[in-house]
Amino acid sequence: MKIFQTRRGALRLTAAALAISLGATGAMAQTKGGTLNTIVQPEPPLLVLGLNQQSPTQYVASKIYEGLLTYDPDLAPQPGLAKSWETSEDGLTYTFTLQDGVTWHDGEKFSSADVVFSVDKYLRQVHPRVRPILNTYLESVTAPDDQTVVFKLKSPFAPFIQLFGTDNMTIVPAHIYEGTEFATNPQNQHPIGTGPFMFESWERGSAITLVKNPNYWKDGLPYLDKIVFSIIPDSASRAVAFEQGQIDVLRGTDVDPVDVSRLENLDGVEETTKGTEMYSTITSMIMNERELPFSNKQVRQAISYALDRDFMVQTIFFGIGKPATGPISSTLPFYDGDVPKYDYDLDKARELIKESGVDLSAHPVKILDYPYGSTWARLAEYVSQQLKQIGFTVDIEATDAGGWAQRVGNFDFDTTFHFSDQFGDPAIGVSRLFVTSNIVKGSPFANNAGYSNPEVDEIFAKAASSTSREDRQELYTEAQKILVDDAANIYLFENQNVTLYKDSVHNLITSGVGTNSNFETVYIDDAK
Amino acid sequence: MSAFLRRFLRNRGAVAGFGILMLVVVVAIFAPLLYPTSPWMMVGRPLLVPFSDGQFPFGTDMLGRDIGAGLAYGARVSILISLTSTVVAVVIGVGIGAVAGYYGGVVDDFLMRVTEIFQTVPQLAMAVVLVAIFTPNIYSIVIAISIVSWPPVARLVRGEFLSLREREFIQAATVIGLKPLRIIFGQILPNAMSPIIVTASLMVATAILTESALSFLGLGDRNMMSWGFMIGAARTMLREAPLMSILPGCAILLTVLSINLIGEGLNDALNPQLRKKGGH
Amino acid sequence: MTFLRHAVLRLIKALTVILSVVIANFFLIRLAPGDPAAIMAGEAGASDPEYVDRLREQFGLNEPLLTQLWLYLKGVVQFDWGYSYRMQVDVLHLIAERIPATLLLMGAAFIFSILLGILFGVLAASARHRPGRGWLDSVIVGISLLLYATPLFWLSLLAILLFSVQLGWLPAYGMETPGTDYAGLERAKDIALHLVLPTISLGSFYMAMYVRLARASVLEVIGMDYIKTARAKGVPWARVLRRHVLRNAMLPVITFSGIQLGQMAGGAVLTETVFGWPGIGRLMFDALLQRDYMLLLGVFLVTSTMVVVFNILTDIIYSFVDPRIGAGGQK
Repeated sequence: MKIFQTRRGALRLTAAALAISLGATGAMAQTKGGTLNTIVQPEPPLLVLGLNQQSPTQYVASKIYEGLLTYDPDLAPQPGLAKSWETSEDGLTYTFTLQDGVTWHDGEKFSSADVVFSVDKYLRQVHPRVRPILNTYLESVTAPDDQTVVFKLKSPFAPFIQLFGTDNMTIVPAHIYEGTEFATNPQNQHPIGTGPFMFESWERGSAITLVKNPNYWKDGLPYLDKIVFSIIPDSASRAVAFEQGQIDVLRGTDVDPVDVSRLENLDGVEETTKGTEMYSTITSMIMNERELPFSNKQVRQAISYALDRDFMVQTIFFGIGKPATGPISSTLPFYDGDVPKYDYDLDKARELIKESGVDLSAHPVKILDYPYGSTWARLAEYVSQQLKQIGFTVDIEATDAGGWAQRVGNFDFDTTFHFSDQFGDPAIGVSRLFVTSNIVKGSPFANNAGYSNPEVDEIFAKAASSTSREDRQELYTEAQKILVDDAANIYLFENQNVTLYKDSVHNLITSGVGTNSNFETVYIDDAK
Repeated sequence: MSAFLRRFLRNRGAVAGFGILMLVVVVAIFAPLLYPTSPWMMVGRPLLVPFSDGQFPFGTDMLGRDIGAGLAYGARVSILISLTSTVVAVVIGVGIGAVAGYYGGVVDDFLMRVTEIFQTVPQLAMAVVLVAIFTPNIYSIVIAISIVSWPPVARLVRGEFLSLREREFIQAATVIGLKPLRIIFGQILPNAMSPIIVTASLMVATAILTESALSFLGLGDRNMMSWGFMIGAARTMLREAPLMSILPGCAILLTVLSINLIGEGLNDALNPQLRKKGGH
Repeated sequence: MTFLRHAVLRLIKALTVILSVVIANFFLIRLAPGDPAAIMAGEAGASDPEYVDRLREQFGLNEPLLTQLWLYLKGVVQFDWGYSYRMQVDVLHLIAERIPATLLLMGAAFIFSILLGILFGVLAASARHRPGRGWLDSVIVGISLLLYATPLFWLSLLAILLFSVQLGWLPAYGMETPGTDYAGLERAKDIALHLVLPTISLGSFYMAMYVRLARASVLEVIGMDYIKTARAKGVPWARVLRRHVLRNAMLPVITFSGIQLGQMAGGAVLTETVFGWPGIGRLMFDALLQRDYMLLLGVFLVTSTMVVVFNILTDIIYSFVDPRIGAGGQK
């Protein structure tokens, strides 16, 4: 920790000096001050967005960094570092006007040059999800003056406006990263952003502490003095910590589903399932469709009939979640539930297997565990038993995160599960799992199933570039029908992420990204 | 032999241990008869409390699988894995120890260095790494447990060989021109048998504990219902259904305890003059 | 002179062992499926093979394996143990941050197990030799047999269930209460409370071991002629115990304590996982699952060095207690 101390000291001094020069802001209705205790799980490897996008990194770093926009629960864009924006009629030019008086945590002034650098140099190179989009669609990003940034696209990309959140287009300081090797920049250990909270310390294996940014560009915000993210590797222990009152905010994914149902009934505990609209995560069973038995459509349909989605949600996930009807989550724009239905029916499943003519005994299959905790292991065990009942010979293969990514990325699997985020628009989060052009080795979240249907490819391509909402809806409805009928994946359920918090905590979930918002207006009653 | 039996039977702990172990073995052998359906099959309402339902006396787990079936099939896994890995470890250990002890000199030096290297990495950590690397299945688990548990056998056998080598009957065998292999297997090994048996019995117990720890960490064979797996799976529901973890834990405890008791009984019975030394 | 020669030889031997462990592990880890680049890309939800290649290049994973090994070994000697791919932090720094927690836990468990183990072992042995106290021997032996057969992680779970969940006496996880600014004594007290359950669960197996060892060797010594003579002369039991029995009975205990310290570094994986103790056992497990090669190698380097050092220390202590044996530690 020693390395950081001098820096931290210096920062504190500047911060204090600035606070004095600004003077106290007016009295607020909300209680100011206090420390918010929460959990980050698992421990993030790094806190610099862009270099790392994992969920724990997002949770912490979303308080430090900002994007040009934020999104309300309906995923409509709201001002962030940009106070206003315009889109040209042809959908090719986006012009942003930036906020006034924004500074970086180290005191440097924020300007349009930072935005241009972040998008054109930094994100284009490092961001695993955004860079392919930028490299495909973005013609240029320029700064006519200090307050203005202009994006020009090569061809229209309808969901482009959804990409300006902190999690996708993070704005990082050009004065720290310009001309350096981003991944090994020593400042990565002490992230500098423009957000309401500043990095204070990170004791690896125990806690990350953020403190209030006293000259945050929104006067009077944030309310909290400090946020402490505790690192507790054991799920049961995390539940106990919340129960014993040491933790104010607990994200549902931090504990086992069984604990969620117990904790939400405690006195003084509130719960919400809001704030996950941007992610709209769906869990699917993916199959290697390059060879038998999964290359056969009727076999896949049979599997879809053989799985009782209500049982999964109720018994395995203790009621947290909602059976899925298709590839697009019901909380995402362009969802359409009017698709072929697969109600649980083992007889129907057996019949389909018979019709398919596939001799299952000649094709034993292996379910590759999804190595993210015990509920996923239970899911594999359940599916294995169900498949056996319709004639499959099934083994489960254990693996860890490393093995899973490698095997799925290299198409070296029979079947496995994954949950995948949909990021506010099917063109960003859904089509990637199904289009032929994304059958690429090396990544586990591409079209690893090897599903290929020219009709679907064409629909997705049209929908991504169309600027009419009605046209897009029509196209996505069609895509959903085909993908469900084909059983391209077996869509199991929509993950529901519950957030549990003490009733003394307010304004926790205010946007479509939930706990990954910046917490600027969060306050605690009776804070010291 | 009868003297051995008499001495063993005099040890009440060992006899009790033998009784328990036999029970476990019988359950393991007849598990498919006791529970014809797979222990993975969901057969009842989830989370039936043990001892409350006539059809499922041991209750059901979170998916509605019969815990009784899990315990019975778990006995098979524990015994299968612990016995196999012990046999493999003893074979490796005896081989290396015998060669080192019989030939001595540079060979001995080299083999003992190798043994030392294996003993330098903490056992459990090593087993965890091996199983994770070769992906968890019954083979990798058996191999990992064998690899971490042979060194003590090697050292023991080497010690026995070093001391036996100098004894007259071995010297005599060498003089009349017997081949080294015949001497090792025909003369020395039988005489070193009793400490090997005692050590092996304790290794079986340790292997059960190691297998359960691996399963608990999620490094078990996914198609075998083992006791460690049951504890690991039940762990998230420790407070809602404590018996779901307690029952398989007791099964491990009893089995390991019985094997340890037998081990002590064997020790006393095979080495009457050493009986006060205890342990190994 | 011979002592010096012994010491140098011993040191060379120790270094060879450590070097072999490191090299063996280096190759072993590479046998695992998946590499850090694939995992990081996977966790980021990236669908971009070019990105994965970039990561590989950046981590130096494209170099031939032998070159990588050579670079690594060269680094180790210069105290540059490489970077953790995932965390972008110096491996030595990470390990240095975590090792105090592990040493604290190991130390506490060691003292707990050896002190109580010897105490109960001697108590049991002397009870056996005094009329009317035989039951105490049986109770102690019985309990130690039970502890000896209990899976450590299961005991930990039950301890959490009882002491943290039901009774609420002791914290169930971590090393310190999060979000507090304790300092000095208050902080020490906080850590001590957190230390109780992990210590007991890590130490109890070894305590049982010490009970058996101490009891057996005390019984053996008691049976010897010179003790019998001393007692016949009317020397009080407590004095006999102190003067004659303990010293001799300690030899096997010392031998085992060296083994225990080495093994505990591995057992700590389980305890640290169950109790959320921020030590290197957990660091190792995470590094293993994430294929964080450099970090994993670093942890192995540290634990095997620890084992070797403990062995040498044991030998030295042994030679002090039992002057018949030289510092070389040969049996």
